[in-house]
Amino acid sequence: MEEQDKLKLLKELLLTEEKEFADSIAQKVEELNKIVHQKQELSYKVDPIIDDKLEEFVEEIPKTLGPTITQTLKEEIKNSQDAVVEALFPIIGKMIKKYIAHEMRLLSENISRQTKKAFSFKNWFRRTKARAQGVSEGDLALSDYAKPRLIQMFVVEKHSGILITDYSPMSEGTIDKEMVAGMLTAIKSFVEDAFEGGDQNLELIEYELYTIHIQNFYSYYIAAVISGAYSMMFKEVLEDQLLEFAQRHISNRDLENSALFTKKLKKYFADDIV
Amino acid sequence: MTLSKKVVLLGHFGVGKTSLFRRFVDNEFSEEYKVTLGVQIKKKVVALPDGRELSMIMWDTEGHSDSVEDTRKSYLLGSHAFIYVFDITREETYKHLNQDLEYLTKNYAKVITKVIGNKLDLVKEKDVVAHLKEENIPFDCLTSAKTNKNVQDFFSELAVAITQ
Repeated sequence: MEEQDKLKLLKELLLTEEKEFADSIAQKVEELNKIVHQKQELSYKVDPIIDDKLEEFVEEIPKTLGPTITQTLKEEIKNSQDAVVEALFPIIGKMIKKYIAHEMRLLSENISRQTKKAFSFKNWFRRTKARAQGVSEGDLALSDYAKPRLIQMFVVEKHSGILITDYSPMSEGTIDKEMVAGMLTAIKSFVEDAFEGGDQNLELIEYELYTIHIQNFYSYYIAAVISGAYSMMFKEVLEDQLLEFAQRHISNRDLENSALFTKKLKKYFADDIV
Repeated sequence: MTLSKKVVLLGHFGVGKTSLFRRFVDNEFSEEYKVTLGVQIKKKVVALPDGRELSMIMWDTEGHSDSVEDTRKSYLLGSHAFIYVFDITREETYKHLNQDLEYLTKNYAKVITKVIGNKLDLVKEKDVVAHLKEENIPFDCLTSAKTNKNVQDFFSELAVAITQ
């Protein structure tokens, strides 16, 4: 045996395990190479099919699953209304708040724009007042909107409830004034009877944004329908004006002559009560 | 402004005050019985023979169970006419009629009072008239709110009476 053969034999004896290990690695690399290559090939063929199917599936969802989902949602909402309200309440609240703030800002801006445009003594006065008070004209105009305003006035015979006259600085309403006078008297009579107030009279009726101020005189009463903020200060001024009107301008003759009474009433209350 | 007068309907429960009121004002009738609570008010404008117009402000009060004195007094104040209604088929509704009329005359001397016997559709007029005379029950008119018999005529005559 030559030297070279001996060396080869020795190598084989010593490196058998390493060779087997190297062969197995080579085999695994080959297998991995095949898998990667195959997947790539497969992907080219399969991907378009999957894409089409997915698109089809998405399109079909409303038809196939829609009714079931809707029904399930409806039932869930119905069965847990409190939870839904609880969840939605803060969101809706925020939305409303945001909307109102937005609308108020628009209104304020609109009023400011209008006041800038219009030139009148009233506007000039408001502008000066706003500057002096350090507030915007819009805010000042807004506060004007809450000012109490006379909507309608009824002069009614005290016990019979017969309407003597009425006056409305605004447009004529569609309600039957004689019926209103009758019903006001019936309400007054009922309250005064029911609570056995003796000589006490019903003086105020409030509903939502309106207040009915009732001022009693000997044989008649005046019911003034007011919108806006009915403050104590306004009440006092109104009382004084009605008293003065009754004392200085109305006589027994006027109570029998409704045309004359109406004329005086219109003349006296033609301007806003402040 | 049109001439206005307050007319109050009085009488026991269930005699047909509201039915007469609705028949006269709205020309409607309903078999359904609903008790009036407190008072209800309606208006009817009547043309008078002299060409004027009269607003009759009708106060339909809740019925009393015993005497007219039970009716809330504040509803009666300032009235121009009272219409006392009784049910001709129920004696208890006119048993105290004379005392009630005496009370009204004494306390509301200036107010015209008329008496109506209602529900004429349920009995024969001849028999009722004879019976009421026998019992000494005064009345001005017998009506039927259901059939509208004598209703319009009665109110037309009343309109003339309260404007004279």
